[in-house]
Amino acid sequence: MKDRKPFSKEIILLDSPEKTTEAIVEKLRRDVLVNFKRQGAIVGISGGIDSSVCLALAVRAFGTDKVTGIIMPEKDSSPDSEELALELAGVFGVRTIKEVITGALDGFGCYRRRDEAVKRVFPEYDPASYKMKIGIRQSGLYNNLPPLFTLSIIDSKGVQQDKILNARDYLQIVAASNFKQRSRMSILYYHAEAMHYAVIGTPNKHEQEQGFFVKYGDGAADVMPIGNLYKTQVYQLAEYLGVPQSIIDRTPTTDTYSATQTQEEFFYQLPVRLMDIYWYGFENNYPPEEVAEVMGETAERVEALFRNFERKRKTTDYLRMPPLRDYYSE
Amino acid sequence: MTMGADVESIKSRVKEYIQQATYVEKDKIKDDSLIFKEGYFDSMGFVVLITFLEESFGIKTTDSDLVEENFESINAITDFIIRKNGN
Repeated sequence: MKDRKPFSKEIILLDSPEKTTEAIVEKLRRDVLVNFKRQGAIVGISGGIDSSVCLALAVRAFGTDKVTGIIMPEKDSSPDSEELALELAGVFGVRTIKEVITGALDGFGCYRRRDEAVKRVFPEYDPASYKMKIGIRQSGLYNNLPPLFTLSIIDSKGVQQDKILNARDYLQIVAASNFKQRSRMSILYYHAEAMHYAVIGTPNKHEQEQGFFVKYGDGAADVMPIGNLYKTQVYQLAEYLGVPQSIIDRTPTTDTYSATQTQEEFFYQLPVRLMDIYWYGFENNYPPEEVAEVMGETAERVEALFRNFERKRKTTDYLRMPPLRDYYSE
Repeated sequence: MTMGADVESIKSRVKEYIQQATYVEKDKIKDDSLIFKEGYFDSMGFVVLITFLEESFGIKTTDSDLVEENFESINAITDFIIRKNGN
């Protein structure tokens, strides 16, 4: 405790994005080329900050001709995502392959199964004229109750209705929607195997530790170069690596449901840069009083926030676990 | 609807449900244990608990009911059910 840095709002900033980049690139080369004996990298690019930084890191590690960006839109995707992904690929000079996954998702019954559950909640819902999204009921962050999930539908005039979801409907909507991430994972591995490349996973530290990913979907990859970086640090690397400003300035979205939805609204409940600072305090065991003083909060609210983080981490352990096989030994 | 159910009967059904749902050893969760603060339930557990209460006791929870004071312990949940049934 004695030689620990005093808590501050700047505590998570990387001292040198250049050195961090060098370290990541060096390890990427070792893991992919030497350990995995793969010849390059496949990166799914969505126009978001995380996948953009991963692509830029992969280009540094393997060169432009050994990196392929895969763009995988489906009918609910924002058109911005593809445009930004193409802009990114242009800046870094990498080849892209576009794979529209709508047909695969239709085959899995993704939309049908999701809409069936949405209609149980809102019988008037028609996917042709309404948009939908799942969110969390705000207000839970500073008390001990876990958040409840809400379903929102928005008609063509922009009128929104919200309802708290029961377990059955929530689970069906999420399970159906998760076909999207798992279909993308299948496409990424197809191209990786066809080229003898590795799949670069794009989750950041928060997504990993708070369980904001789909098991065997976007949570499946060979390496996760930014998996230990806070979002603020990912933005620092983006600036350093030359990721287009249009991507840096874009609000992070889930791009999963037909209605636009920010990651803060869907999952984190806090602006991500604030989340970073609090999470650092939490995982490094800073006393809530010290964190509260720096953040202009009460110690009670910081304690509640830390309990919320702990609960999130504990209840998502299942997502991070590989299949257990230690059931029998001779 | 269990309008006539007494406090102990409600409490015992709530307790039985919580023990079954959490797989926690019998008697570890006391009537005044803070079941959310101690992390026995996640979001899904909370949703299922509400469904159980609505179906078992004929109550309807509204947005304004979803506060910690109503759900923090077996005692709190029991009081909540009695209040909802009485009003």
